[in-house]
Amino acid sequence: MKNRRRVVITGMGVVTPLGHNVPDLFKSQLEGQSGVGPILHFDARTFPTKFASQVKNFDLAKFMPDGAHWAHCGLNTRFGLAAARQALDDAGLLDNPRIDPADIGVYLGSGEGGHDFKSLVESTARAVPDNSYSADPKLFFAHSRRTFNGRHEFEMEMHTTTGRIAEAFNLQGPNMTCQTACAASSQAIGEATELIRHGDAEMMLSGGAHSMIHPFGVTGFNLLTALSTYNENPQKASRPFDASRNGFVLGEGSGIVVLEELEHAIKRGAHIYAEVTGYGTTADAFRVTDSHEDGRGAAAAIRNAVVDSGVAPESIGYVNAHGTSTKVNDRAETLALKTVFGEYAYKLPISSSKSMLGHLICAAGVVELIISVTAMHQGVLPPTINYENPDPECDLDYIPNEPRQKKIDHFLTNSFGFGGQNISLVVSRY
Amino acid sequence: MAVQPRRAVITGIGVFSPIGIDTAAFWQSLVEGKSGVRPITHMDVSEFPCRIASNIPQFNDKFARDVFKHSRDHAKSLKMMARTVQLGVCVAQFAMADSGMVKGKIDPTRFGVEFGAAIVHSELDDIARAAKVSSNCQPGSVSLQAWGEAGLKEIPPLWMLKYLPNMPACHVSIMHDIQGPSNTITVGEAASLLAMGEAYRILNRDLVDFVLVGGTESKLNALNFVRQSLFQPLTTTRNDTPDKAVRPFDRDRDGTALGEGSAVFALEELEHAKARGAKIYAELCGFACGFDRDRKGKAIAKVIRKAMAEAEITPADVDHVNAHGLGTVESDIWEAAALRDVFGKDVPIWGLKGFLGALGPAESLIELTGSILALQHGHLPAAINSDNPDTALGLQIHNSGTREIKKPYVVKLNFSDLGQVGAVVIKKYTN
Repeated sequence: MKNRRRVVITGMGVVTPLGHNVPDLFKSQLEGQSGVGPILHFDARTFPTKFASQVKNFDLAKFMPDGAHWAHCGLNTRFGLAAARQALDDAGLLDNPRIDPADIGVYLGSGEGGHDFKSLVESTARAVPDNSYSADPKLFFAHSRRTFNGRHEFEMEMHTTTGRIAEAFNLQGPNMTCQTACAASSQAIGEATELIRHGDAEMMLSGGAHSMIHPFGVTGFNLLTALSTYNENPQKASRPFDASRNGFVLGEGSGIVVLEELEHAIKRGAHIYAEVTGYGTTADAFRVTDSHEDGRGAAAAIRNAVVDSGVAPESIGYVNAHGTSTKVNDRAETLALKTVFGEYAYKLPISSSKSMLGHLICAAGVVELIISVTAMHQGVLPPTINYENPDPECDLDYIPNEPRQKKIDHFLTNSFGFGGQNISLVVSRY
Repeated sequence: MAVQPRRAVITGIGVFSPIGIDTAAFWQSLVEGKSGVRPITHMDVSEFPCRIASNIPQFNDKFARDVFKHSRDHAKSLKMMARTVQLGVCVAQFAMADSGMVKGKIDPTRFGVEFGAAIVHSELDDIARAAKVSSNCQPGSVSLQAWGEAGLKEIPPLWMLKYLPNMPACHVSIMHDIQGPSNTITVGEAASLLAMGEAYRILNRDLVDFVLVGGTESKLNALNFVRQSLFQPLTTTRNDTPDKAVRPFDRDRDGTALGEGSAVFALEELEHAKARGAKIYAELCGFACGFDRDRKGKAIAKVIRKAMAEAEITPADVDHVNAHGLGTVESDIWEAAALRDVFGKDVPIWGLKGFLGALGPAESLIELTGSILALQHGHLPAAINSDNPDTALGLQIHNSGTREIKKPYVVKLNFSDLGQVGAVVIKKYTN
C-alpha cells in the first residue's frame, strides 16, 4: 500500500495479575481465570471498593540481577524492568554482540511511582489546627521534611520508569514517555511505530507500566464512582458489556514489546510475531470523564487505524475491546464499532481482557495487545468472562465466557483514555 | 519518495512566565536583564536551605476566570483544575488568540494538541479534613480504616481529575474542539520539547494541519515544594540575592531554583498558514531525542547532530544554542561536553535559567520563546548570571552586551536529570 517502512513485533514481556510471562498469562486467558481478589497492598477494608486485580508473588530479583538496586522505585518501574528484560531477551537483543543496545529507544505510557501515604497524611494532619480545615504549610514542612524519603519521592516522578529501563539496559535511542491514562501504552506503541516508520529509530521498546492500587488511587476513582463496588463477589465485578456492569476493576502490571523495522528484523534473523499495520489517534473534545455518547472519537480512531493498515474492514478477524465494564464506555464502544464496521460488526468477535485482568490503566493497552498477538498465533480467541445478562444496547458477539478457536489474520485493539484520548491499533499476521 | 515534505511553522505564541506574562513583557525582561527568581513569600519556608523560587504572583483564580470571561462554561471548568492545569489552559487561549485561529475555522479532526506535563501534587487543603479524621497525630497513627470510613468522603469528588497530568491537553481539546491526536509527554525537563517534536512528526505525516503544543508547570504548592526540595539540586548560597542565584555555566554556580509557568505555541503546516495569511514566527526544521546513559555528553551530542541533520545544517549555520544550562556543577559539565563536541567555541551558548529557574516540563518552550523573539528582533540580549563562565567548560557564553543575530538557525536543547534528551532546530522564517 503505502511506500513506507514496516514495523514488526519481535519480542514481548509481561508482569500481570495472571502471570509474569506471556505463556502463563495467555493460559489464564483461555481458562477464563480472574486475577481479582481482596486488596492486599494496603488495608482497604473500609473503602467503597475493597478488591482489585493485583500482581502476585512478584520478585524483581528473579528478573534483574541486583534487584535491591531498584528498591526505591515504584511498582510501576519494577514491573516495567521485569517486562522489559523479558521482551529484550525474547527478541534476542540481550547480550547480543551484533546489536548495540544504544541503538534501541524506549517509548512507554506509564504512570507514577508509589506514594508514601502514611507520611503524607500524618504530616498533613499535624498541619491542621483543631478548629480549622486548612493546613499550615510551615507545620506541614516540619513533619514531612523529616519523614519523606527523597529517593522514594524522586521515583514517583513520571519519567523514571522509562529512564530506569533505558539506564538498566543501556538503551540510548529515542526516549519518550506519555501519560494519557487508559490509552497510554497503546499510544506509546502507536507513536513508537511512527518513529520507526519515519526513520528515527530501527528498534523501540514500547508499552507501559502502572500501579494505582494504593490508597490515593482507589480513593480518587471511588470518589468519581468509576470503580465497581461489587464487594460481595469481586471476581464477577468486571463484566464488560453485561447489562449489570457498574464500573471497572483496578489492576496493575506492565507489558513491553520490541518494535522493529522489518528489514532490520529479517536481516538479523529475528523471530517475528506480527506486524503493526495501523494506528489511529483522536481526541473526543467532549467531557473530561465520559466518552462522547455517540462514540465519535472512538469511531474515528478505529476508522483511522483500519484505513492506515490498508486492511479491508471485513478482514479484521477480532477486536480486543477497551471494554472497561462501565456503563458509558461499553455502550459507546459498541456504537463506535457499529459505525465503522456496519453490518459486519455483528460478525466480528470481540472480547475484553479486562473481564479477567481488570484495568491496568497505563499498561492496559500493551498487555491486551500482547494477549491478542498470542491469540492470533495460536488460533484461539480469549473470552469475555462474567457475561451473564445481555444488554440490548450492547448486542454484538463478545465471545461470552468460553474461548473460541478461530484463525485470524488481523485484529483491532482499542484503548480509550480518561481525558478523551482514543487509540486504536491494527496488528496483522506477518 | 517524491512527495514534498510538509513544513511546520510557529504561528502563535502564548507565554506566561516569572519574567513576563506576555511576549512583550517577557522580551523586555530579557533585554533589561531582569530575573524572575525571588524570595518565596506565599508560604513559610524559613526551614529550607533553598528559600527562593520563580513564581508568578499575578496568577490566581480571578485572573484565570478573566481569561475566560467570554465563556461561562470554560470559566466554570477552571474550578476543576489544579494551578498547573489552569496555567496551561490560559496560555493555550493566548496562543490561539495570537495565532488568529478560531474554533470553526479549522476541521477539528485536523487539529491536534501535545502537552508536556509532570505529576501534579495535591493542594493540602483538598485532603486536610480527610487527613485530620484519619490520624490522631501519634507516630504511625494514620488509620486506613478511618480514612476509608470517614476520611475519603471529605475529599472533593472530582479530586483526581484536578491533578491528572493529561488534563491540560484534555481541557484544551474541549475548549477548542480539538479532535485530532492528543498526547501528554511526561519526560521531566525535556517534556515540552519532546511534545513539540512529536507534534512535528504528526504534522509531517499529514494527520493534522495545526497543533497546539505546550508545557505547563507549577511546583510551588507545599506538597510539591517539600518533595522537590528532597531531591532537586537546589541552590542554597544566595537566598539573599535570588536574582543572582541560578548561574548557568558560571564558575560559582551551585544549583537551580523551582518555579512555575507555561508556554504554548501554535504549530502549523506552512501552506495552511500562508493560505490564511497567518503571521509566521519561525520554522521548526529538525527534531531528535535520545538517552545519555553515561552522563558524559556523547549521546547528547549525537541527538543534537541528528536534529541538525534533519534540518540539513551544520554548526556553521547556527546563530546560538539555546541551552539547558541547569546551573549545577554536574549538569553543566555534562552538557558542556556535548556542546564542545558539536560546536567547539564557535557558537555562542545562551541559557535562560538565570532569569527563569528550572520550570520542568514548561521550560523548553518558555526558553525557546526567547530565541524566537530574538530572531524576530534581530538581536540577542545577554544571558544573566554567567558573569564568570567556568573556563573548564570550554564554551563561548553570550553573557554580556547585545549581539546581533547573524545566522538563521537556533538549536534548542533540554534534558532530564536521568539523561532523557531532546533537541530541535528552528529557523528564522523567510518567505
